[in-house]
Amino acid sequence: MSESDQIEGNPESMVSTPAVDVIIPATPPAGPSERRAARKENWRLIRRRPSFIVGNIIAIVWVTCAILGTRITPHDPLDFRAKPHLSPSSDFWFGTDKTGRDVLSRVMAGARDVLKIAPPAALLGVLFGVILGMLMGYIGKRVDIILSRIVEAFLALPVVLIALLAITTLGNSSWVVLGVVAVLFTPVVARTVRSAVLAERDLDYVTSARLRGESKMFIMFKEVLPNVSGPIVVELTVRIGYAVFAISTLSFLGAGPPPPSPDWGAQVSEGFNSISAGIWWTTFFPAAAIASLVIAVNLIADAVQSVLEAS
Amino acid sequence: MSRYLLRRLGSAVITLWLLATIVFVVVSVLPSNVGRQILGPFAPQEQVDALNHRLGFDRPIIIQYLQSMRRVFTLNFGESYTSGAPVNDVIFPALWRSGKLALLAFIMTIPVSILAGIIAARRQDKLSDRAIVNLGLATSSIPEFVSAAVLLSIFCVHWKLGKAFANPPDGATIVQQLQYLWVPALAMAITYFGYLARMTRAGVISAQHSDYARTATMKGMSSSQVMRRHIMRNALAPTITVISVQIGYLFGGIIGVERVFNYSGLGSTMLIAVGKRDIPVLQGAVLLVGIIYMFSTLAADLLIAALNPRVRLEVSK
Amino acid sequence: MTITNPDNAVKAPASSALSVTDLEVVYNVRGIPREVLRGVSFHIAPGEAYGLVGESGCGKSTTAYAALRYLPRNGRIVGGTVSVDGQDVTAMSNERLREFRARDASMVYQDPALAMNPTLRVGRQLIESFTLLGQSKTDAEKSALDALRKVRIADPERVMDRFPFQLSGGMQQRVVIAMALACDPKLLVLDEPTTGLDATVEAEVLDLVRVLRQESDAAVLLIAHNLGIIRSLCDRVGVMYAGRIVEEGPSAEVFDSPQHPYTVGLLRALPRRGVRKTERALATIPGLLPLIGSPLPTCVFLDRCAIASELCHTTAPPLVAIGDGTGRFSRCHHVDRIGEIQETPVSVDIAMLNTSAKGADVLELTHVSKTFHQRNLAIPALVDVDLSLGEGETLGIVGESGSGKSTLAKTLLGIEAADEGGSVSLDGHFVAPLTTGRSADEKRSMQMIFQNPDSALNRSWTVRRILMRSVEKLTGIKGDEANTRVEALAAHLRLTPRHLDLKPRQLSGGLKQRVAIARAFAGDPRIVVCDEPTSALDVSVQAAILNLLADLQSEKKTSYVFISHDMGVVRYLADRIAVMYLGRIQELGPTDAVFNGPNHPYTEALLSAIPNVDGEERVRIRLDGEIPSPANPPSGCVFHPRCPRAMPGVCEVSEPPLREVEPGHLMRCHIPVEQLVEMQRTPTQG
Repeated sequence: MSESDQIEGNPESMVSTPAVDVIIPATPPAGPSERRAARKENWRLIRRRPSFIVGNIIAIVWVTCAILGTRITPHDPLDFRAKPHLSPSSDFWFGTDKTGRDVLSRVMAGARDVLKIAPPAALLGVLFGVILGMLMGYIGKRVDIILSRIVEAFLALPVVLIALLAITTLGNSSWVVLGVVAVLFTPVVARTVRSAVLAERDLDYVTSARLRGESKMFIMFKEVLPNVSGPIVVELTVRIGYAVFAISTLSFLGAGPPPPSPDWGAQVSEGFNSISAGIWWTTFFPAAAIASLVIAVNLIADAVQSVLEAS
Repeated sequence: MSRYLLRRLGSAVITLWLLATIVFVVVSVLPSNVGRQILGPFAPQEQVDALNHRLGFDRPIIIQYLQSMRRVFTLNFGESYTSGAPVNDVIFPALWRSGKLALLAFIMTIPVSILAGIIAARRQDKLSDRAIVNLGLATSSIPEFVSAAVLLSIFCVHWKLGKAFANPPDGATIVQQLQYLWVPALAMAITYFGYLARMTRAGVISAQHSDYARTATMKGMSSSQVMRRHIMRNALAPTITVISVQIGYLFGGIIGVERVFNYSGLGSTMLIAVGKRDIPVLQGAVLLVGIIYMFSTLAADLLIAALNPRVRLEVSK
Repeated sequence: MTITNPDNAVKAPASSALSVTDLEVVYNVRGIPREVLRGVSFHIAPGEAYGLVGESGCGKSTTAYAALRYLPRNGRIVGGTVSVDGQDVTAMSNERLREFRARDASMVYQDPALAMNPTLRVGRQLIESFTLLGQSKTDAEKSALDALRKVRIADPERVMDRFPFQLSGGMQQRVVIAMALACDPKLLVLDEPTTGLDATVEAEVLDLVRVLRQESDAAVLLIAHNLGIIRSLCDRVGVMYAGRIVEEGPSAEVFDSPQHPYTVGLLRALPRRGVRKTERALATIPGLLPLIGSPLPTCVFLDRCAIASELCHTTAPPLVAIGDGTGRFSRCHHVDRIGEIQETPVSVDIAMLNTSAKGADVLELTHVSKTFHQRNLAIPALVDVDLSLGEGETLGIVGESGSGKSTLAKTLLGIEAADEGGSVSLDGHFVAPLTTGRSADEKRSMQMIFQNPDSALNRSWTVRRILMRSVEKLTGIKGDEANTRVEALAAHLRLTPRHLDLKPRQLSGGLKQRVAIARAFAGDPRIVVCDEPTSALDVSVQAAILNLLADLQSEKKTSYVFISHDMGVVRYLADRIAVMYLGRIQELGPTDAVFNGPNHPYTEALLSAIPNVDGEERVRIRLDGEIPSPANPPSGCVFHPRCPRAMPGVCEVSEPPLREVEPGHLMRCHIPVEQLVEMQRTPTQG
């Protein structure tokens, strides 16, 4: 919560927050470009946050690696062979793995595997979650009771396991991983959207829409949806981070792309057994890559969240 | 009170049934040949068919479902496909081991993160607050298996302060077990630190802004008195809920940690069961996790009721 | 009129309990410091009650909180001093400040439900106030019981043992007051202490404060937006505007003959002295409240002042003493020209409105009941309501919380379905119980204006889209034609074309409410339900909205169902009034009849509870006990347990029918009307 939270409010906020009878002046009316200006202002505030800047720098590094791939890796991530298990040196900054491949090149190339799945998986999960959450929150009653139960059951489930089961059966193509992760995120997103919608449902503008005879669909998606877009945007950014988290966990547990692939989770999985022999670099660098990417996305999400929640 | 418990029990049964159904749906709807998966690619077709018949996979789906449900509601999950041992003999010892690990992780993380959350809230927007918030953000971003692998290389390989193979030998004393378990527990604790610290911070901040905190300050209480007597009780409820809801998630994360440390807990058991399509074991383990989840949310709700009389009166009705 | 002109006219008396001098407070908003208080000075003597009034954003609460040095984290005192009982509050160390709050100053604020810790018993919280003063546990417990008795709580032991949420609002506020008085403070600050409480409960709390004032010599600083409360409770009053006190003096004098253009505007904006819409329009103050922290180098009221001169643009007006030194001051260059401020004349249309002749009935409710079901509990929220509404008529509905007035609105609009057996008819035709079952034309005919325009307008839509959708949906007109209509509608409600492309949050409260009204009128409705449409607005804005509603009605012959808790507003606008209690209509009659009596005993009590800004004191009728829960209504006449005139053996046995006591005036009471007339002529209680 930032400082300004305490004195934000509508001009009638006197009644509800007596400590402060002060209103932040709404941006002075200035014409039809107003809406864009407000959005610009939010964007400007987001951009200025240090967490956003740091998060973006890290993320951009990985996105660059993912896009350019082998064009910028010092060696070929798959075919190049040096001596196995060379420790980090000026020749091989991150050392080499058990078959003599360059760990740095593999970590750089591995960004692509995660980054091509995580954002679409998060997007899809949020999409499903929004639809489900809307139905639960707005239609309510029996629909809500039943769906809430299912969501609750999902929360009690070691979901990683179910995902693993599904992926090992359906095959570990990117599409399957994408779909499975999206389905896993759906209940969580639905719950967030549901509570946001519940808070909206009782507002008078919804009553007013009902009084002029709007359909449920119209009210849900045209009236209410834009007002819960803040939490949805936040959820989307957060989910991208968790998608990276989930995808690497899955591939660590054996549901990732098959061996020669430089996938990070798979690299950790390959490497960690040799840690006891003192060979830490084959595990450490891909592990650090995963951590840095998730942290980067979460830093961005944090910046977005703190600005959107304040406005 | 008893009516409340009864209602909770009723809803727990429904949730468990849903859980079992989800597992069943995932197992049966997904195309797979269990017999082939168990016997391997080189077994003769007749053997595979015979096994499938013995396991009931050639029966109509509805019968399979009912059988599966019977297993669930009698809490007798049958025998493991792979070892033939009763499922309960496999999952309960594994649960015991995982429980020890999880408990240790909670003992390590809860006091530290709640304290960090309170410090951050009291020093809101100051340097220490920003440090705790960002540290929390970072730690909760790191997958458990990643921190497990990193901690393994630091503590167990480099400094030799812990064991890389976390299974303590039979008959180990508690102190010896701790030597084996503290590093994997730390890996889990690190991930939860972020969630709990941030949640506590948010709870304390919102309670600090409440009218009753203002009343207490205006009475002439010092800020630490206000914190102790008025804020803490109200601020902890969301944190307690988070702890309880994280249980299902915890058993997801524990899989990675157990795998890194070669620890034979419930996570490893489930992982192996998935690999081998050992459905009875899988079903039993998942339901066990579900039951633990139910109990922990119930315990959390009762704890919140104990802290908050309004909820308590609602409960005792 | 003698005018003295030294700026330090307000000198601190040697013995003031609270002395605020040139106080300047700044709030940091996104790094930009904004001036909230621009030099506030006033002094309160021991035992004196001083009121601060003004519209939202004027800085009155900030002043109160600054007096106890409790500002939000981004607030800062940048100039001036505050001293209580001779101690400089601004210079205290933290430890000293704590001690000062514990022993010398206390505060009571709005919303007692939130002011106490919900997880601790009342007793523990109250005892704490005494142990902080150094009392032992047992002494503190005794003191706590005494404190509860002091605030007239009959059963203190039981109350000590309860949790705050188990007490009613009135009880909660009593407990908070008891806590505040624990240290026998030198200064007691009351910040909107009764806002949000029901009228009869509010009156009880105010009575209590009045009595307690006689028992203590604490100086009282009272913040209230309700001028009536200030007049009835305070010796002196300061009128604040944009961070300055613009006028000060004894309350009766300030309210009866204001000497600053702002005070004049504020008082004329109030519907008072029984004025009706047909007699005169309410005065409005042109322009808007200045934004917080906007630069106002000379007179803060300059931009909105009707009598501003060249001098006002160049020189900040000093505080001018008025009269013979009775402590009246005004911060105006032109005190002598106050009389030039014009009254707002009523439009001819409204004056022509003939309120006595009721038009044909457009709406009729017969035997309408509404029962809510919660778990296995049936809660009758509305019981057997019969009502009719004529064309162009305004029916005022008054009642306290739980009276069913909002349920009545929702049921007739079809947001909630009436119970079986009741019916709603429009122009003589029965309509479906729920909106969804009603025809497009029926929907168009019945619209609503809500209490809180922030909640009523979709905040992600532009004003144009909000109005456009209603026009299209309610009239069937589409495209350019609809757009033309939207623009005409907006112009009619004095919204400029520029407003159409803004979103609600970019508009002030008054403008938002105009948009909401425009939306309700998009399809030329026959009936508009107004649910407390001005209670979230400042007085001067309220006046403009009420005028607008009256204009629209006279022009379009729309009928209003006007729900309000403000008797002055209802009296101004309504032609007939229905008084509701526990879901039943207790009294129904023409406005004059309801205000002049004879009255149902409940109406009588309700009317006597209103703190009056004109200072005419009615005999207070005190009601015993709490408003019962609608889930568990009393037997017989639902009002009998609280009725000061209840007849034992009759009233608790059977529920009286709603019968006509004089033409058009109905009452639900067993007492014969002649007897009521007699009773209400002679004061019963002192």
